[in-house]
Amino acid sequence: MFSSLMLVSLLVLTLPIMLSIFNTYKNSTFPHHVKNTISYAFITSLIPTMMFIHSGQETIISNWHWMTMQTLKLSLSFKLDYFSMIFVPVALFVTWSIMEFSLWYMHSDPYITRFFKYLLTFLITMMILVTANNLFQLFIGWEGVGIMSFLLIGWWYGRTDANTAALQAILYNRIGDIGFIMAMAWFLFNTNTWDLQQIFMLDPNLTNLPLLGLLLAATGKSAQFGLHPWLPSAMEGPTPVSALLHSSTMVVAGVFLLIRFHPLMENNKTIQSLTLCLGAITTLFTAICALTQNDIKKIIAFSTSSQLGLMIVTIGINQPYLAFLHICTHAFFKAMLFMCSGSIIHSLNDEQDIRKMGGLFNAMPFTTTSLIIGSLALTGIPFLTGFYSKDLIIETANTSYTNAWALLMTLIATSLTAVYSTRIIFFALLGQPRFLPLTSINENNPFLINSIKRLLIGSIFAGFFISNNIYPTTVPEMTMPTYMKLTALAVTILGFTLALELSLMTHNLKLEHSTSMFKFSNLLGYYPTIMHRLPPLANLSMSQKSASLLLDSIWLENILPKSISQFQMKTSILISTQKGQIKLYFLSFLITLTLSMLLFNLHE
Amino acid sequence: MSLVHINIFLAFTVSLVGLLMYRSHLMSSLLCLEGMMLSLFVMATMTVLNTHFTLASMMPIILLVFAACEAALGLSLLVMVSNTYGVDHVQNLNLLQC
Repeated sequence: MFSSLMLVSLLVLTLPIMLSIFNTYKNSTFPHHVKNTISYAFITSLIPTMMFIHSGQETIISNWHWMTMQTLKLSLSFKLDYFSMIFVPVALFVTWSIMEFSLWYMHSDPYITRFFKYLLTFLITMMILVTANNLFQLFIGWEGVGIMSFLLIGWWYGRTDANTAALQAILYNRIGDIGFIMAMAWFLFNTNTWDLQQIFMLDPNLTNLPLLGLLLAATGKSAQFGLHPWLPSAMEGPTPVSALLHSSTMVVAGVFLLIRFHPLMENNKTIQSLTLCLGAITTLFTAICALTQNDIKKIIAFSTSSQLGLMIVTIGINQPYLAFLHICTHAFFKAMLFMCSGSIIHSLNDEQDIRKMGGLFNAMPFTTTSLIIGSLALTGIPFLTGFYSKDLIIETANTSYTNAWALLMTLIATSLTAVYSTRIIFFALLGQPRFLPLTSINENNPFLINSIKRLLIGSIFAGFFISNNIYPTTVPEMTMPTYMKLTALAVTILGFTLALELSLMTHNLKLEHSTSMFKFSNLLGYYPTIMHRLPPLANLSMSQKSASLLLDSIWLENILPKSISQFQMKTSILISTQKGQIKLYFLSFLITLTLSMLLFNLHE
Repeated sequence: MSLVHINIFLAFTVSLVGLLMYRSHLMSSLLCLEGMMLSLFVMATMTVLNTHFTLASMMPIILLVFAACEAALGLSLLVMVSNTYGVDHVQNLNLLQC
């Protein structure tokens, strides 16, 4: 009952794709069919989830034996455990709202059916990734979400920036895939399998290499520091794409992979420290970059990156269940923030610069409400959604025996979260309008209102709902000093007040030339500027020089032939004092010879 | 000295004088160089054959090989001069230029 319902839910998702070979594809109601399909799949998947919550029984479904290569058996197997059972309804709920939103947002697009098909294919590959029981199936889902991300970021392919951003996403993800394949190869060699059960049962000793590979894969897919520039560039895609892929589902795939391997990671202190430091660097760096961006979608993208760093920090302090909880709660308010920004953008006639927005507090009340509630949930205000995961993470980090520097970075990043959220609210909503007078501001479309309303309810109540209904996994820290318990709240309130004060004080000042700190933050820490120009130039010029110059022109031409001729010419010019009177020289030679022959009697 | 020796020695001397004293063409100097080589070749061959010094009978042939090489070298110089001036008059070689 349990397993068949889950399989039905997953299978229902693939129906519109398969039906697209018939004529319903040409119909303009295809998007509505897709949206309804996802809502049915969501409701169907709620039943197995509730059964799982009630009984706590995990299931593995092994269907179809694909092939056996000597001692390796590959089959289609689904792992329905704590992580996948809770993630699937959450993802389906968020996707349902995003599909409804994109019915409004992409309404005038001529290829809207193809857009929905791409979104649905993405969702299917994400489900494959989440429910995979062996690394091969996970890799299929992994690559699938990468490809769909490429297709969706480059949706408006006439725009050069969009094509560049899509290619950038593929390249950075590919670098992460190297780590993934290295981990797969290691597991194949040392544990003779790609099944998660066998890997955890065998519990290999020296797991540094595969866990490093998985960390690299997570760095690539989840945009950690070093492989992060693709995420802000991915905002070239339409807003539903940003909401679905680059906030809730695809970018958490890397974190999800690390969470799946938590039995191996809890025994390896080195990898935990690496993860912790990487996550701390990411969360602080991207929060700093978010402070001075001017594009509203880029600020929210950096916010996503910062929260992903926070999830990686949580894995680094050996709390995979808390990281997973943060994934689920983060999906709600981040998708809602993107949808609100999409509503603002469409209303202001495709204006994305926050310096040209303002005064929307009275013009768009519903969007304002949801934007403010989403920002509050993001910063972890008590008893909204974000509080249940974020506050627990900060508390656990404060009271655990961990790297103090990483902890400090995380706390600073938490206060910066409040700062840039205030910045968005201040520039986009408050003050006097800075947009053109001829506006088409409206939010009276039921698709828009209903979808944001659903995620709004989720942003407020989902944290409470989920954390009261899951079974206890790791015991949270029960006792700590008062100041430690209030740390997260204190830094958040500090960030809010500081940002509001600064914004109000400097609002009417003269524009001054930017300081170097501002330039550092605005240009993303110079990381894309350096890394996208210098290494490719060095690589290409080195390869060109070594291929054509090294063998051909230096070795074959220059070393012996030309060097000898040059040397001879130079030395002969240097030591020559002659004037070219050849006949005289020959004559003197002859006379000397004759005289010597005659004088010394050499002919006798 | 025997008549044969004087004959060949005279041929060599005439060629030597012709090599060192000539009017204007560089080509005549090269031709006399060939004549010197020829007389040396004949002298070496006759000596080897008369004294039945069989082991040294490769000397004239090697001498001929080296003569060919130096003739080629001389001709390439001639060609270079001729490329610049059109004729190979010796009085043209008065520019100290490389």
